[in-house]
Amino acid sequence: MHTCPRCESKKAEVVSKSPVEGAWEVYMCPVCIFTWRSIEPETITKPEKYNRAFKVNPADIPFAENVPALPAKYIK
Amino acid sequence: MAYKDFRDFLATLEKEGQLLTIKDEVKPEPDIAAATKAMSKLGSETPAMLFDNIYGYTNAKVAMNVMGSWPNHALMMGMPKNTPLKEQFFEFARRYDQFPMPVQREETAPFHEVEITENINLFDILPLFRLNQGDGGFYIDKACVISRDLDDPEHFGKQNVGIYRMQVKGKDRLGIQPVPQHDIAIHLRQAEERGENLPVVIALGNEPAITTAAATPLHYDQSEYEMAGAIQGEPYRIVKAKDSDLDIPWGAEVVLEGELLAGVREFEGPFGEFTGHYSGGRSMPVIKINRVYHRQNPIFEHLYIGMPWTETDYMIGINTSVPLYQQLKEAFPNEIQAVNAMYTHGLVAIISTKRRYGGFAKAVGMRALTTPHGLGYCKLVIVVDEDVDPFNLPQVMWALSTKMHPKHDAVIIPDLSVLALDPGSLPSGITHKMVLDATTPVAPETRGHYSQPLDSPLNVEKWEQRLRELLR
Repeated sequence: MHTCPRCESKKAEVVSKSPVEGAWEVYMCPVCIFTWRSIEPETITKPEKYNRAFKVNPADIPFAENVPALPAKYIK
Repeated sequence: MAYKDFRDFLATLEKEGQLLTIKDEVKPEPDIAAATKAMSKLGSETPAMLFDNIYGYTNAKVAMNVMGSWPNHALMMGMPKNTPLKEQFFEFARRYDQFPMPVQREETAPFHEVEITENINLFDILPLFRLNQGDGGFYIDKACVISRDLDDPEHFGKQNVGIYRMQVKGKDRLGIQPVPQHDIAIHLRQAEERGENLPVVIALGNEPAITTAAATPLHYDQSEYEMAGAIQGEPYRIVKAKDSDLDIPWGAEVVLEGELLAGVREFEGPFGEFTGHYSGGRSMPVIKINRVYHRQNPIFEHLYIGMPWTETDYMIGINTSVPLYQQLKEAFPNEIQAVNAMYTHGLVAIISTKRRYGGFAKAVGMRALTTPHGLGYCKLVIVVDEDVDPFNLPQVMWALSTKMHPKHDAVIIPDLSVLALDPGSLPSGITHKMVLDATTPVAPETRGHYSQPLDSPLNVEKWEQRLRELLR
């Protein structure tokens, strides 16, 4: 498990490893679906350095606007 | 002149000096996006780029900026690479009039070489990478997405081929942005009302005629495949999918078959968009991938998108302008001269027209707002006289400076539809729109001192030709 740099959940998992062994790994966060590669700049990979304007609060995710709108029968 | 497949087009670009292969090792991030953005800054005649030495990969190939310049757009149409923009516009309009060109059906395709139905992992199959720093992940943004009308499935024209941004959200899962004004949103709505998933096919790495047709705002029942044939002057080749009745571009490098999941919305984005702004995070539909095919050693074609101009603007410049031109000509066949809707996908459009009587130019501007593309774009429509070239911005600025009277010629229509990505829309997807009439007033609209337009000294055209020859 890895920490998501964007929403800081601890649930991110490896989804891919480089064909050349040991070059990099790709991680995905199941909470905010953020995806990153281990060798990206620290402004992408480190929670404390990730651009604050693009941080995601997991509590806000259920309130994100639906695009396109859902038909009424799917709205609980 | 049709290109057989994506590789055939790349070979032509190389022969014409319009393909730069980057042999030095690059990192997936930030190098590939940075190099592509930098290429766009070098002007409007830049080459495509092929990256074949990417850190961590053994044999990945990534093609960028494939249609990112006017020479490459001209070569897409099989024209000499130095063809002027306005000539490309009128040739595109001529071919658009050849629609529909019947398709050619094939039984097998090169992408059948490798087929994967178990343990699909898109992150392993495609050399994915981040484009812009605020993007929520790795995207696919130049693929053809194919779907059918569920209420009229036999109607070939209602099958849609469109280009939509897709976030890779899992090993076999994509998020997709079906803009409500676009055709796939109609298909999704039908599926969701039935409570069924919508079959879709995604084709990556296509020859450029279908990419151009897929990015053209056609009428709902017009086939992109029959338009691709018209653009390339030969029947377009297609092959059937295995899991649905959908038709696939024969020359694709990689094909994903799957289904749009009914009733599902999931957090997506942000993504740096063609508006020069990020879209923000929203909840959007999800595609589950069930089958993947690809050619041996496929080339991954990708598109850098961001602050204009980038490849997107070349790719959707002329093919946005021409349908507007043709649809306006349906209403005003003797008056419309040319349309330039190349700015931010036609959020700004410039129309050159003759006027029959006072107020006519404003009617032309209003008609543009009700074309299929105008419903989501055309926030500002500038109308100019027939002797003003809408592709020549200094001429357009001259018309605005001298012909437009703000009291009479600025018309604002409140609360019309626009694509939700317009960062100024409020609420998202709603905006006022404006028509600026920069044409010369004609009777009964008599105002201003326009009776003495400046002519040129005698023989200017003769001199122009002579000087061109002297300067050769």
